[in-house]
This record gives sequence, structure tokens and C-alpha cells, in this order.
Amino acid sequence: MKKLAAISLLIAMLAIALLVNARPLLADIPAPPIIGSTIADFTLPDASGAAHTLASLRGSKGTVLIFIATQCPVSNGYNERMEKLAQDFKARGINVIGINANSTESVADVKDHAAKNNLTFTILKDNGNKVADLLGATRTPEAYFLDASNKLLYHGRIDNSRDITQVNSSELRDALEATLAGKPVAKATANAFGCSIKRGGE
Amino acid sequence: MTHAAKRIYIRFVVGGAVVLVSILLLMFSAAAQGKSAHKSRRTSTAKPSTEVRAVNAEEMQALLKRDGKRPLLVNYWATWCDPCRDEFPDLVKIDRDYRAKGLDFIAITLDDLVDIKTAVPKFLLAMNAKMPVYLLNVADPEPAINMVDSNWSGALPATFLYDNTGKVVYKHFGRVNPGELRAAIEQQVGKSQ
Repeated sequence: MKKLAAISLLIAMLAIALLVNARPLLADIPAPPIIGSTIADFTLPDASGAAHTLASLRGSKGTVLIFIATQCPVSNGYNERMEKLAQDFKARGINVIGINANSTESVADVKDHAAKNNLTFTILKDNGNKVADLLGATRTPEAYFLDASNKLLYHGRIDNSRDITQVNSSELRDALEATLAGKPVAKATANAFGCSIKRGGE
Repeated sequence: MTHAAKRIYIRFVVGGAVVLVSILLLMFSAAAQGKSAHKSRRTSTAKPSTEVRAVNAEEMQALLKRDGKRPLLVNYWATWCDPCRDEFPDLVKIDRDYRAKGLDFIAITLDDLVDIKTAVPKFLLAMNAKMPVYLLNVADPEPAINMVDSNWSGALPATFLYDNTGKVVYKHFGRVNPGELRAAIEQQVGKSQ
């Protein structure tokens, strides 16, 4: 009987090892909303814990949401450009909002990072990936431009290169300028390499 | 049959089945180990892949072409990408375990060109990586990203498995699950050889 118990235990351990190895497939990240669709209002806290709705943060002419990170060198390569974008368009009615959805980066990290890099725009903490899932965001930096009625007009990169000296197409800025001029957005999506958003539970 | 006899009988059957299954499992794992030990001996003399070649989008596309013989695993990564670094040891093991079984594996880094002789080979040497490594050097990354997969945002790491005809049979964005990737590879290796 002891032998049988020992063998059973061995089998049980093997079975557990196999089960642990064959972790269930991670749920797929939702696809991003199609260009032209309206983004539903949401509520997220900033790094101080104060809750904000999209409705309360949006600009009179539109809103830019950018998924950012404290650790990602690509996102960090854009700190100055994101701050400049926020400054340039604030007076023109478009607000820039940062969203940190990395489960590995704490509220304190977000606060420190913003202070060290002189990021003055509001940065929200999306701990449960609620908004990252709503927008199908996968990397940092990844930008979304919504018009005054929260209609998605542009989704993608800020520009073509994290090295500012190599930039020759600025799709996000072009989308903002076109919209302010009452023109359609010429290029509504564009991709670039970036860091994966580290979702909670991964 | 009395109740007690029935219990003994059930124990006997269950016990027998358990012993049989465990013997089979042991035999299977021993065979698998012997096989991989044999294969790794054959490839262990290869030098770590510290020679990294810069490629443009067209050259990269040519690298992904298949001629009906071997499936291809491609991993897009960078030394600045934490999950890429985290998963790399798993990929080095996969390369070691499956290259001799018929899998081609290339790693394509998105590091800056200035790092091609410094940070990139240093990392590959530390990982004892032996797969061919290329650095994608493009001014605008979008055509290359869209050429690989129209559903890929460019988030790193990204891993694609092509069958021997060049069709994507498995892809994963973010850190790979080695068990899941190995299962996908198992389905492809040895198909045509």
C-alpha cells in the first residue's frame, strides 16, 4: 500500500507539473476600436488618487490619450515630445492625457517619473487595464486622438522614430493640425516598435 | 463479490494502471532526454551568434521566405525590452532543442544600429545564443511591421512560427509561454523531412 501511495503521489506531482506547464491561453487583448467610432466615457485615478472622467479631462476641440511607461526606453524617448505636444495644443483646445497601464509600474513610480521628466499633463493609472482594453492598446507609446465628441480620428505612433533626429513623419501632430483646420485626417493609423504594455495578471 | 473483495479488486486495477502509466511516462521522458542530449551534442560546437547583420525591410522579407523544407521561428526583440530579455533564455533552449529536429530560428533585433557591435552581441554572448541574429535598420518601421502582420502594433517582443511553406501557424505578442510555443513547434518539425 505504501508503494502504491508513493507512486500515486509521483503521478499526482507529474500531473500537477504538466498542468502548471500548460497554463491556459491568455485571453486575447481586445481589438482597438475602428477609426470613426465613439469612445465611451471612462473614469480612472491619477497618480495622487483623484478620479477623473474622460468627459472632465477632454479639450474643447479634442483629446489625445497616450499610453506611456516609466521604464520603457521608447516611451522615455518621447517624454520631451509629449510634453511639447501638450503645451503646444493646450491653448488651441486639445488636451493631452497620459495613461500608465503597466502593472509593474506603481503610482509612486508614475509620480516620480513625471516629476523627473517635467511631464505636466495629467497621467492616469489604469491598473486593471480597463482603458487599455477599451482602446485595444498594446504598446508604449501608443496614441489615440479623439475629436470634441470623442470620435476616434487617429490611432498609432507619435511619429516615425524614437530618435528625434530621424523624424520625418509626425502622424499624430498632423492629425491634430488637420482637425483644427477642419480637414480630414490624412493618415488615421501608423505603427512603430514599442514596449508591450504589461497587463495585470500576465 | 463481497464489498471488501470489491475494494481490493478496485485498488488492484487502479494501482496497476497507475504503475503502468508511470512506467510509460518514465520511458517516454528517458527517450526524449536521450534524444535531446544526442542532438545537443551535435550542435554544441557552434559558436554564440555574436555576428549580427543589419538588414532593411526587403532583406528581412527575404529571410522569412520558405522553400517547403523547414519551418521557421522568428522572434522580434531588443536589448532595451525587458520581457524580451526575460524570455530569451527560453528561446535559446528552444533553438537548442529543435534546430537539429528541423526548425530554423532567426532573431531580429530592433536595437539601434550603434548597438550592433556592443550591447547586442554582449547580450547574445551572455545568453549563449546560437541562432542567426539580424538587426532591422529602417527609417520608418511601419512597412516592415505591416509586412510581417497587419494585426501587429509593433509591440515587442513578438514571435511568429511559419510552416515550411511560409504560412504563419502560431504567433504571440508579448512574453512567450514556452510550453505553448513548444507544442506549436512540435506540430511542425519533421512534417516534411
